[in-house]
Amino acid sequence: MAPIPAVGSPRLPEAPGSCTRVSNGLKEFLWNLDGLGRGTLLDLGPAWQTTLTFFIERGFRVSSEDILREWKDFLAEEEKRLQEVAVAGEDVDMTPVGRAERFLAANFRYARSSFDAVLIWDLLDYLEPTLARQTIANLTELLRPGGVVFALFHSKKPEGFQRYRIADSSSLQVISSPALCPAQKVYQNREIQDLFSRFRTMKSFVSRDQLRETLFIK
Amino acid sequence: MWKKEDAKSHAGSEISTSHGIAASSANAAVSNTSPSRETPASSVATLPRAEACIGQGIRIKGEVTGSGDLFVDGQVEGKLSLTNGSLTIGPNGQVKADVTAGEVIVRGRVEGKVSGRDKVLLGSTGQVHGEVQTDRLAIEDGAMLRGRVEAGKQPGKAEEYAVAAGAAASGTKGGSAVTMSTGTAAD
Repeated sequence: MAPIPAVGSPRLPEAPGSCTRVSNGLKEFLWNLDGLGRGTLLDLGPAWQTTLTFFIERGFRVSSEDILREWKDFLAEEEKRLQEVAVAGEDVDMTPVGRAERFLAANFRYARSSFDAVLIWDLLDYLEPTLARQTIANLTELLRPGGVVFALFHSKKPEGFQRYRIADSSSLQVISSPALCPAQKVYQNREIQDLFSRFRTMKSFVSRDQLRETLFIK
Repeated sequence: MWKKEDAKSHAGSEISTSHGIAASSANAAVSNTSPSRETPASSVATLPRAEACIGQGIRIKGEVTGSGDLFVDGQVEGKLSLTNGSLTIGPNGQVKADVTAGEVIVRGRVEGKVSGRDKVLLGSTGQVHGEVQTDRLAIEDGAMLRGRVEAGKQPGKAEEYAVAAGAAASGTKGGSAVTMSTGTAAD
């Protein structure tokens, strides 16, 4: 019988730049969604066939929005806009707060309480802290009471950029990708609790690969 | 009005007579007469299934509606809507439009909202910049998707589509017509 890999220890790579890791956080996330029936899920990573299929087969309606790529595109547009505004002599709020508000007004256009679950992955580490705070505030509104959020936090500054998709009900596939944005912040436990202060439960799984899997229940 | 069997037996000429705008492109896609233009294999494989074709080199600005199957390997700007047919955007197809059909297969490039009531398939050469809405979504390796995705069954959706399909069927005679309105075809 093959030995069961420890939590967070990568198995042999299946494809160049990817590996599969056991995820207790995912198991707990799915356990919380068990028996929900026709649920709704918001995936803030790129749309992967495996992740979509996994949840659709379980009766979920999946919305997928690659928020980090949207943020990168938004920043590029803001750069252009800034130049135009400077030429025209207009006054636009270019503070992080103003920028975050404009970004969120253009994205996350969903009805309140429209999701049972959200997959954030490790994106909060890559968003400006102001935007991360406002994103969580918005997500809290989008989640139904009892809704679950699954997020990953790096315990130290990540060396490379990775994407995640569901391999099976207990493991994630980690895919090395070209960096979209540099990592902005390494969150400490207290800061994470503050970010998700409106959630009633928080459960963390610390793994050997410097990645904390965290579950929040509204 | 002509049927799928007709399309198989008469190949490009039938398409060109009943839908004049597709003449040059249909010939190019099926027979590959031009030595300088290489027709991708998937283009040839998909064409016989479609009842109408907007071929490579054809550009349409406006609204394309109907209820049959349609193969687009040219350029469309505006709106593309099939009430219950299958829409295939070929590898050379470039669509700047909101796209709606029973089944949508994207092997080219689409900018706009893609709605497939039953299924959306993004082929390995497919690119979508915009929103995708469907019950079932298949993404092949290499496909590019930039925008929001909504996939999976929605409660009450089946009834809504049944009503919409019924209304559409009553509005068309044969049920397999593709019409193009407010359009400007240009090579």
